Amino acid sequence: MKINTTINGKKHCLDVKANAMLVDVLRAAGFKSVKFGCGEGMCGCCAVMINGKPRNSCITLAGLAEGAEILTVEGMGNPENPHALQQAFAESGSTQCGYCNPGSLIAAKALLDSNPNPTADDVKDALDGNLCRCTGYVKRIDAVLTAAKAVKKTSKTVRGKK
Amino acid sequence: MLKKLTRFYYPETIEDACKYLGSKDEKTAVIAGGTSEALRQDNSIEALVDISRVKELNHIRVDSSSIRIGAATPVQNIYKSTDLKGPAGELLKTVAGKIGSTLLRNSITAGGNLAAVFPWSDLLPAWLVLDAEVVLRKGKPKRTVPVENLLNEKPAKFMAPDEIIAEIIVPTAGKGTGTSFCKFAKTANDYSMITVAALISIKGDSIVKARLALNAVTIAPVRCHEAEKMLEGKKPTAQLFAEVATAVAEKTEVRKDFRASKEYKREVLEVLVRRSLEEACVRAGK
Repeated sequence: MKINTTINGKKHCLDVKANAMLVDVLRAAGFKSVKFGCGEGMCGCCAVMINGKPRNSCITLAGLAEGAEILTVEGMGNPENPHALQQAFAESGSTQCGYCNPGSLIAAKALLDSNPNPTADDVKDALDGNLCRCTGYVKRIDAVLTAAKAVKKTSKTVRGKK
Repeated sequence: MLKKLTRFYYPETIEDACKYLGSKDEKTAVIAGGTSEALRQDNSIEALVDISRVKELNHIRVDSSSIRIGAATPVQNIYKSTDLKGPAGELLKTVAGKIGSTLLRNSITAGGNLAAVFPWSDLLPAWLVLDAEVVLRKGKPKRTVPVENLLNEKPAKFMAPDEIIAEIIVPTAGKGTGTSFCKFAKTANDYSMITVAALISIKGDSIVKARLALNAVTIAPVRCHEAEKMLEGKKPTAQLFAEVATAVAEKTEVRKDFRASKEYKREVLEVLVRRSLEEACVRAGK
């Protein structure tokens, strides 16, 4: 069957098997930032934003994404022009193997979208579904708090220029 | 899994959703968040009816006498709701926040746990102690039934094939009522091993209404009617709560799984029941 979705701002019509999971469909379509981890919604590697809400794509049937807007890490930024969160993750050393980073970044972005002034507890709550088995959690929490400040600064300067 | 699945339907109204479900030509099933459907080993379903875009199924409405929650409302919305207040609202928020993780709470829906009943569903004991009712719709016609009836008879049997859960109604509780929820799991994100929900209303110096419900430690959610009778009409004392907790732990049929032995769970259950009752009692006095 065919599904129509907007991925990172661009419209896509994808030919999928009806029982395919969104994670597999996104990876096949070239969005390799989306990682397959546990396959049962426990680790958060596969998190993508669906209509603004971070969800596990490994237990979301692709059919549920019909008409939806999806955001993956590719849509957040790239090495030349990284998102404040990506920058903070890199600079704080929140990356060792990096496998959990895409999911964590999506969950962190969802937090900053809804709450620009998070506390450390807010970060822990928002990232509670993203397991990290090598770096640990302290650096990641610091990174999100740093990025929150950076996002606020840039939005202020942008507004100032206008 | 879902090997025979060929298509999805995307109805925008409850009536349309029920039409697809009533079809004799193909085997259909309802899907909203999809967490249980994705893991279910069902190879007979040919089409899924996605009710997540039906607007009238996605809401949290609060008035002076009741809280109404649409069946397809993600539990994250309950957890983050600013409208839910009072003993009933606070209990729902607490419980919703303890379900899985943020990523799962955005998928899991309020009604999904009632359609597919699992031992680890945290909301079920809360619905039971709050005397929640479920609105079932079959196109336009609807019926309102206590959650307890639906759970006791198993939703799949209780509901017609073209009937869907539309809304859950919870009566709000006023002053003199306290609620509490205890969850025991290996980690904050793991499946619950024991869940206990309690509600206590106090008038003067005696308990006028008591509700106690368990899940996870049992195969299916249960309301502890005998324990409630032991509590009602009595003075709330530490000794009474301890006696009730002992009785509940003794009489409960404990589910076996690999996480812990029955004996261990029984001991923890006793502590959690006592703690829930004490906590609900303290809150009732506030």
